[in-house]
Amino acid sequence: MSAFWNVVHAELFKLVRKRRTYVLAGLWWLLLPTLALIVGRVLVSNLAASFANEAGGVDLLVQTIASPFGIARISIVGPAYVSPPFYVIVVAALAAVLVGEERSHRMWKTILVSQPSRPAVLAGKLVTAMLAVGVLLGGALLSGVAFGAAGTLFLPTTFAGEWGGLVRAYLLQWAFTGAIVAFAFLMVHLARNVAVGVILVFFLPGLLEGLYTVYAAVVGFQPINRFNVFLQGIRMRQVLEDLPTYFFTANVYAPARSPVRELAASLTSEAAADGLDLSGLLGSSITLERAAVVAGAYALLFLALLTWRFLRADVD
Amino acid sequence: MPAIVARNLSKRYGRAVAVDGASFEIGRGELVGFLGPNGAGKTTTLRMLAGLIRPTAGEGRVLDQRVPGPALRRVGTMIEEPSFYPYMTGRDNLRYAARLHGGVPDRRIDEVLDFVKLDRASDKRVRAYSQGMRQRLGLARSLLWSPDVLLLDEPTNGLDPVGIAEIRENLRAVAAEGVTVLVSSHILAEIEKLVDRILAIDHGKLVYDGPLDALVHRLDADAITYHLRADDGPALLAALRALGLEAVAEGELGARVTLPPADADALVVRLVGAGVTVLEARRQVDDLEGAYLRLVRGDGRPS
Repeated sequence: MSAFWNVVHAELFKLVRKRRTYVLAGLWWLLLPTLALIVGRVLVSNLAASFANEAGGVDLLVQTIASPFGIARISIVGPAYVSPPFYVIVVAALAAVLVGEERSHRMWKTILVSQPSRPAVLAGKLVTAMLAVGVLLGGALLSGVAFGAAGTLFLPTTFAGEWGGLVRAYLLQWAFTGAIVAFAFLMVHLARNVAVGVILVFFLPGLLEGLYTVYAAVVGFQPINRFNVFLQGIRMRQVLEDLPTYFFTANVYAPARSPVRELAASLTSEAAADGLDLSGLLGSSITLERAAVVAGAYALLFLALLTWRFLRADVD
Repeated sequence: MPAIVARNLSKRYGRAVAVDGASFEIGRGELVGFLGPNGAGKTTTLRMLAGLIRPTAGEGRVLDQRVPGPALRRVGTMIEEPSFYPYMTGRDNLRYAARLHGGVPDRRIDEVLDFVKLDRASDKRVRAYSQGMRQRLGLARSLLWSPDVLLLDEPTNGLDPVGIAEIRENLRAVAAEGVTVLVSSHILAEIEKLVDRILAIDHGKLVYDGPLDALVHRLDADAITYHLRADDGPALLAALRALGLEAVAEGELGARVTLPPADADALVVRLVGAGVTVLEARRQVDDLEGAYLRLVRGDGRPS
């Protein structure tokens, strides 16, 4: 077996002995689907026989929330909309186990003597993190289906849904998470303390993006007078709409947020008919193709910095 | 072909010099002690040889390959206090290291645990281990892949006399199998019964490289102390001072004098020539600990 696979083998061995792996899986695989089923059951109990369901609206809502497809969709969409996103929590926890603990337990000196190939160690740890994310995402899909299937026994739900698109979203989100993994590894490796590293992973991107937004909005902003107020308003709106397309946080969750595109479109269809453009609602205006380019660029940047730092660092 | 080579190995941290041009060679199968006070540069040298830190200048070679490099796969180390994942058992920590290295059969884990007498405690979590158990587990891990070279940094640190004796026995057994062992310590007594050759380092500089017993003789080369006794003590003292030597009275008839080796051979003849009847002339044999202290402190006084 090559040095790289030896590292993957060892790191997986370690991950399965870490309790937090199971806590993360439990939160993702059990909590969300259970909540979806409870909400579905409450909707059916309270509203199914009421006037609200005369046009089948409640049944449609229950199908959207608590069907196998609905729960599987919530399991990918939901984690992208909590704050901080559950994806970054999962990845930060994995980075803390795979990189941060090596410093706090002073294990680097053991690891890099047991396996002296630093490129293999770094690549092995990154791939292990991606495999763990893949298992957690795959498990979320399967648990969503399983819980939804159980729900069909006592809810008016079916297996109907755009399954191909949903599976594609799961696969893409797994790939996009590579950028978060690279960022988290870099932050946790650079920070002398695991807790500081994890906090940086959670809040640094948002903080930098917020500061840059303020900077970009203020620079070039001219004093308002009655002649330019309209143009300045347009300019401000343009800045605030354009910037997120380059932001890390706006792009790395794009696949997870893509299933709500249809939902947002249907919710805003009436407004659109009235000439009001709300297509950017819920952040769904960024195309997957563009997001892939941006996330890929971030991933390459973070990986380059991480590799440069890791291969040169002296070990305490 | 030497197993370990250091050529002008140096490490600086800013202005601080941790290791300053250390050069030595250790042959295959040798068991060598690396001696020096705390902060002398022992650990930094071992870290450079283990590929954990990069030398500022010079190079380290292990098994004829530059480090860091693939030769480190044939090296076992225990640098400073051994580290483990506390939430794993001792056996799982070894399994993890074995998987990381690759090519280590499961039965080897049982062998090394048995070798360090930890087989009974191997299924306890490491957080419940005593300092001695951790040291022994660290030694077991360093032996996992049957290394050709062992770099051990103060492996007896924190152990009681029984533990020290056990580690010593283990290292003797390992060396008997032809493994090259470089073991550091800041306490001479811990390794003087173990090694035949000493590398001594102080303030980052290698100050001695040679056989253990020659350490005493080399220091004797600078100055020799004689204990003399004559039939007339005051006359003996006066004669010594007349020869330009600093003498100290020892009892009514005795004196102690320290002089360069070149003058030592003719001392008694010169005293007889001065009319002193010398009853006894005994050369002081320095013990190893004293010699070591003189080596690293300059004046022989403990710090």
